[in-house]
Amino acid sequence: MNKRAGIGFYIFLVVFVFFVMFPFIWVFLTSIKPPGEIFSNFRWFTSNPSLQSYENALTNRPLARYIMNSFVVSSLTTIIAVAIASVAAYALTRLPIKFKGLIFGVVLASSMFPQIAIISPIYNFITDAGLRNSYLGLVIPYITFSLPIAIWILATFFQKIPWELEESAKLDGATPFQTFRKIIFPLAAPGVFTTAILVFIGAWNEYLFALTINTEDTWRTVPVGISFYQSQFTIPWGDISAATVLVTIPIVILVLIFQRRIVSGLTSGSVKE
Amino acid sequence: MNKRSLNEKQLGYVMVAPALLLVIVVILWPVAQSFYNSLFDYRLNDPSRSERFLQSNIDLERYANDFFYLSRDLDGLSEQAPDPDASEKVSEIGSELMGFHEELLAMDGVGEQYEIVEERIASFQAIADRDLKYSQVDNDFAESYKDFLTAAEADLTALVEASDDEEFSTAASNVAGSINSTNAAVIESNFIGLSNYGRYLQNPRMWQSLMNTTVFTVISVGAELVLGLLIALLINRVFIGRGIVRASVLIPWAIPTAVAAMMWGFLYDGQTGIVAHYFEQFGLINDASVLLSTASGGMFSIIFADVWKTTPYMALLLLAGLQTIPNTLYEAADVDGASKWQQFWKITLPLLKSAILVALLFRTLDAFRVFDLIFVLTGGGPANSTESISIYAYITLFSQQNFGAGSVLSVIVFLCVAIISIIFIKFVGSDLFAGRSGR
Repeated sequence: MNKRAGIGFYIFLVVFVFFVMFPFIWVFLTSIKPPGEIFSNFRWFTSNPSLQSYENALTNRPLARYIMNSFVVSSLTTIIAVAIASVAAYALTRLPIKFKGLIFGVVLASSMFPQIAIISPIYNFITDAGLRNSYLGLVIPYITFSLPIAIWILATFFQKIPWELEESAKLDGATPFQTFRKIIFPLAAPGVFTTAILVFIGAWNEYLFALTINTEDTWRTVPVGISFYQSQFTIPWGDISAATVLVTIPIVILVLIFQRRIVSGLTSGSVKE
Repeated sequence: MNKRSLNEKQLGYVMVAPALLLVIVVILWPVAQSFYNSLFDYRLNDPSRSERFLQSNIDLERYANDFFYLSRDLDGLSEQAPDPDASEKVSEIGSELMGFHEELLAMDGVGEQYEIVEERIASFQAIADRDLKYSQVDNDFAESYKDFLTAAEADLTALVEASDDEEFSTAASNVAGSINSTNAAVIESNFIGLSNYGRYLQNPRMWQSLMNTTVFTVISVGAELVLGLLIALLINRVFIGRGIVRASVLIPWAIPTAVAAMMWGFLYDGQTGIVAHYFEQFGLINDASVLLSTASGGMFSIIFADVWKTTPYMALLLLAGLQTIPNTLYEAADVDGASKWQQFWKITLPLLKSAILVALLFRTLDAFRVFDLIFVLTGGGPANSTESISIYAYITLFSQQNFGAGSVLSVIVFLCVAIISIIFIKFVGSDLFAGRSGR
């Protein structure tokens, strides 16, 4: 950490950030071109910017509806997964139960299961339950990847809370549940929140389940909806660029506000401290 | 104290129970189901194979419906017969049919079930309840019933061909048709054991897709590790604008893969794609359309897009690992006169080993199950040259509606992932679990 940054370093940094951001920059520049200009040349900046593509993106396909679907499904998934996972992670890190190693093993293994290996039984189950093309029909399969990840990250956060606080609460006669509610939960709240962000992003980005279970256009989520903008014969790049910009903005805002938390959540499971 | 610890224990089990139950119901049970499905010739688009039958069954709804017409038409047919031989043949079929039918109804519970089904059919109600619709029958019975029906159909067809009487011919071929339909209502077990596996282990498309997946995984994870490590080493210092760099690195990771794939599809496009255009200008490729229309171009495209999307994530994980290495180690090495190169190999890499292995484990598993990136960007094409094993499984399951064969492919993905995990966990195991299971 003692290394000082020189001019060369900053030049490298600018080039690096430019390369990483280039697809976004180009897609944004495309989205404000008049649709005809996209297919005619490779000029970076258009001389007569237009919002035509945005209008097309919102009217040719129910993009607003996709965004709402994604929002509802991801929020429900996050609430359910984090609630169940925080209780379980507390018991796994703090209470004297047996088979902890086994349970952690099962949780870790479940988070590694390929979705393609469970999709056909889940599809049968959702179809039999009459939940195709509904929010619940996606929330149930989304539990499969969000719950194990949530337990895993939360366990790391709970582990860092000092035992002494709990010991003194116990001495004062608090029940385990009171300890959880009054001592652990407030201290763990940042970790819970971080976990919630990661679970939300995971659910927002999911593709395979959304593709197979909600096949009606009005029930599609953002990733699936966007991938269906192309028709058999034409690819409306203007619409696609505009739609991409519209769905990326919320994520950019989320990342800008919560970047520290996201990084701490991502790295918590992988680095010993 | 003893009582209290017992309470804590009980509470602990109560708290773990919902999560564990969900994991079992929505993850472990479906995996077991996939294994089970893979042992059947199970196709959603074929009525006689749309269920998994360990035993022979009769589709009573269909059977009752067909049998009603069949027995009526057979009686009429024997009277219409132009010559006594044909008439005798037809009535022989009729009496044998009744024999099988009565044997069927005499079976345990089948008679009552048949009556209920008949009533439902008479009142034009569809039967959704599987237990009512299907009735298990003896395998030998089903086999001989089917043999008889097949033979009867052949006999009738022979009669139709031999006869000059047009009226009789038409009636007889109608009856042959209902015999065929009745035959389809008698369903023999579609349990085929491991023979689907045998078929796929000799299937070149399966090996090709497994090869594609491996090539994709090894090259992209390798490139991500090297680039990620380089970036992590470079930005592991104090500088102005850390926040901007961190955010710009997180955004590719945070956007949906399908959206990223659409973006890259635009950038690679042979006509309008800027990346394809620049690559052509710089002489990296000889034609802008190469990226998405040739096998090697397609593979390059998906790997490049994946490296763009996940290298930043890799760099973040490794950076977190780098920051846990105490600076004093480097200072001591400087005093001892070790070069930067030696410091990297003797201090940085060994201390970063567990962070690297964990990052590699998660990335390898992620890359091996790759689906949305390829599905949206190339659709597995051109000519299946970028088809990953997950895409092949998806196409078999949902485009061909072949759940038996598709489950074989999903089980293969599952087994590969399990093998990769076991190999990695042998290396990282203790590190991953360290300090997590508490006291």
